[in-house]
Amino acid sequence: MTDPAAASQPGPGPSVNAAQPATETPTPKTLPIRDSQSAKGPAQPEQPSSKAKDATSSSSAGATAVASTEASSEPAADKPLTPAELKKKAKAEKAARRAREKGERDQAGGGGGGAGAGPAAPGAASGAGQARAPATPKKDAAGGAPQKGQRGVPPPRRGSAPVTQAGAVTAVEQKKKKEDKNVAVFGHLYGQQRRTTVAGAAKEVHPAVLALGLQMRDYVVCGSSARCVATLLAFKRVVESYTTPLGTSLARHLTTHLSHQITYLSTCRPLSISQGNAIRSLKLAIASVDPATPESTAKATLCDFIDSFIREKITVADQVIAGSAAQKIQDGDVIVTFAGSSIVKQTLLAAHKEGKRFRVSIIDSRPLFEGKNLARALATAGLDVQYSLVHGISHAIKDATKVFLGAHAMTSNGRLYSRVGTALVAMSAKERAGGVEVPVIVCCETVKFTDRVALDSIVVNEIADADELVSALPPHQITGLPDPAAASAAASSDPKKGANRASNATTTSDSLKTSLNTSSSPLSNWKETPNLQLLNIMYDVTPAEYVDMVVTEMGSLPPSAVPIVHRMSTNM
Amino acid sequence: MPSTSSALTPGLASFLKSLKTNAIDTSIENLISLLKRRQIRHSRSCATATAYLLLRVISACRTSDSAKLIERVQSVGRRLVAAQPREMVVGNIVRRVLGLIRDEAEDDREAEYALSEAGSESQPHTPRAFDDPSLPLDRDALSVRPEGSERAARSPLTSMFSLLSHPEPEASLPSTPGSLSPSGRLPGHGPAKDVRAEVLEGIGEIIDELGQVDDQIAAYALDHIHSNEIILTHTSSTTVQKFLLKAAAKRKFTVIHAESYPNNHETTHITVSGNASKDDEILSTESFQKPLIDLGITVILIPDSAVFALMSRVNKVILGTHSVLANGGLVAAAGTRVIARAAKVHQTPMVVVSGVYKLSPVYPFDFDSLIEYGDAGKVLPYEDGDLVDQIDVQNPLYDYVPAELVDLYITNLGGHAPSYLYRIVSDHYRKEDISF
Repeated sequence: MTDPAAASQPGPGPSVNAAQPATETPTPKTLPIRDSQSAKGPAQPEQPSSKAKDATSSSSAGATAVASTEASSEPAADKPLTPAELKKKAKAEKAARRAREKGERDQAGGGGGGAGAGPAAPGAASGAGQARAPATPKKDAAGGAPQKGQRGVPPPRRGSAPVTQAGAVTAVEQKKKKEDKNVAVFGHLYGQQRRTTVAGAAKEVHPAVLALGLQMRDYVVCGSSARCVATLLAFKRVVESYTTPLGTSLARHLTTHLSHQITYLSTCRPLSISQGNAIRSLKLAIASVDPATPESTAKATLCDFIDSFIREKITVADQVIAGSAAQKIQDGDVIVTFAGSSIVKQTLLAAHKEGKRFRVSIIDSRPLFEGKNLARALATAGLDVQYSLVHGISHAIKDATKVFLGAHAMTSNGRLYSRVGTALVAMSAKERAGGVEVPVIVCCETVKFTDRVALDSIVVNEIADADELVSALPPHQITGLPDPAAASAAASSDPKKGANRASNATTTSDSLKTSLNTSSSPLSNWKETPNLQLLNIMYDVTPAEYVDMVVTEMGSLPPSAVPIVHRMSTNM
Repeated sequence: MPSTSSALTPGLASFLKSLKTNAIDTSIENLISLLKRRQIRHSRSCATATAYLLLRVISACRTSDSAKLIERVQSVGRRLVAAQPREMVVGNIVRRVLGLIRDEAEDDREAEYALSEAGSESQPHTPRAFDDPSLPLDRDALSVRPEGSERAARSPLTSMFSLLSHPEPEASLPSTPGSLSPSGRLPGHGPAKDVRAEVLEGIGEIIDELGQVDDQIAAYALDHIHSNEIILTHTSSTTVQKFLLKAAAKRKFTVIHAESYPNNHETTHITVSGNASKDDEILSTESFQKPLIDLGITVILIPDSAVFALMSRVNKVILGTHSVLANGGLVAAAGTRVIARAAKVHQTPMVVVSGVYKLSPVYPFDFDSLIEYGDAGKVLPYEDGDLVDQIDVQNPLYDYVPAELVDLYITNLGGHAPSYLYRIVSDHYRKEDISF
């Protein structure tokens, strides 16, 4: 890839290219950028750079160079670094991050103006170049650059981890392109793109949390309670492996240590209300640890606290809810439920175990198809299950006698915040033409109650990756998928990098998967299609008047009782 | 191989092609089996196929006797409707054709009655003529019963005239005197009018109407869409797309498109993105039209489940339909009902665009009988085959949407309130044809 690039470029490009491998150890992220930047060089060779720009880029360049060398040594020797080294590394990382952020900001603000600044400082390539990564494709195209199709192809001479490379580049690229792909009304919800790899995670993040983050991102761990429990269990391991550094107390430092984990988790997927509540009470428990208690005792107390929190707030609460909600089911009932709530599943199974004879109608939706698992679980338990998608709501609701819904959260104004589509089911139950209203029963642990209020589904929501809508199949694996272009490019350059077979294999398998997922769909290149936007929101808000009863571990309540119960349970 | 197979795929195109060459009975059987196998599915395709078939049936029917024609069309129509009773447009077209024949027959009789009145009902089958309020009254005045007795009384006389004016052997075939044609003209009353020719012309006009109906509806678009509007739609209805495209030429607005998974999402994706991914079987003329995004209209594709969440931002819901019933309710793609309900809850106006040909005189006493169920494999893919054994998978294709959820119908005749539809129905179909 570099060869044609070099051939096509007069001027400084080739020399920079040649110089790089010698001077710097390869860091995955900086590398393609440097290439593209050097490629960009000849386009505007004598562009004078603005003073400020130059200063920032050169200052950050040094830092990044340090960071990159550090990073390359990191996987080999992670633990046995001296504190001094650690500190240095942290500093370098921070500097690099700051430089990157700044670059991105410049990118967003500066637009075409910023383009001139970069190439004039070939020495400062890595720092500024890294920041400029997202824009490179666009600029190449704009400048009518001759090297189309080269970017994204990992240069064969660098053996290190081409997959992560591609991932990093695509992540940044996607982010750039997404700018105009955001649905305007939901503009406030498009924060950071969900993390695709563990690369770049803070070093304090515990491996258990790292894994959990990706699992949550891939919906392996999905559902409000499941995420809450998994988070708490991971944090328990964090607490177990935690040692208080010298000069601080556990009560003070563990909180900050945890907040690193929390930050990481929230970059994988925004935290659920239940997670937030659990974390809040865990932090409260940490803060209330007496500084005089020895570390081991304090840790044991905290682990006990986590265990009992899970037990009280979720495990036992679920049992209580399932028991009392199952009482609401009678022989001959037709129960309609939406998607796959674990608590509804428990309720239905409990009722089935009691020998009640009823039918369940599950309504499911794209793109997660959570109801399928519920259907499978119920069918294997021997229940009479009917399954349809959102388009069949009005048919399923026709002979329904009760609607059971799970919750992501209950807001303080009594509204139900749950998987998108829940509101349609509740509405259909209440507005059934000519028929009697069907009671809508929500099963919800009090840990999911929040003091936030919501009027519509737009102010508070979560935006999932819109690419999930492109393929008709439910997502099996999302993490680490390169974008189709990069994948095909990687596949085309396969023979060149026969050396690293392992990574090669993963790349091809990934690209295979991507092509399976997207190539058949007319939406596969929706990001390049102007004016077309895909919206994949996760939740919607069901008006309180559609909910007849909220079954909690504290009893069955009307939705208007939510704020009172929430106050009671948090003041305990 | 794929190229030939695609050319031979049974459907509207292949049917129309075969119609010219095949014998009439073969064609009828062909259409019946196409309808039964659901190889012709969309309302317009069904209507077009029926209209062309009836055109052929009538032109092959070598008689000018309107009663015979009616009988023939009725028998064909009954078979077609029995083949696919939920495709209501088939019945609608048959009724329209029956109405045409009756009108022509009455015209003739009227001409015999009073020469001066003959001109008033020159072309009752054109849609525009139905706006004339005097017409239905005229027609109501001539009810069926006296017609039969008159015909019986006058038949010997008229048959003599028909002998003179129509030298075809069929016209003089021995038959019961009552069924002989009253189509003969008194001399001096202009050129001799052939019922059959008139009816064929009328069917031609129905076919023309089917071709233009979307454009006619689209002509009203600017009356209903204002600037900066957010419009929600569902499925890949051509009528809706043309409607929106027409408005997009003049105004800027945003379209939120629910993808109508699993029965129509692929076509919807193609409609929305404008690029048919491969040489798909759906390579009709409709897929060549420009997508809305090319006109600078922002299109947001959402899964069906997000309709409620977004409804609070939507200004107007514009939907297509499968057929419209006499009470103002409609049978439309599954999922329409929840959308309509959500629109009602949010007080968002809901507009249904539909050609008049989809208007059916059927009154829905049993909603369930109107609903068709589709392939369960679309809901639960074959990879989950183990599940299919254990659970009951449902894939309804249509929803019945009650009239109170619809705020406005836009047909090729203009905008109507749902409560007005019965009037249009009575303009288009004759009472005696409602159950033929």
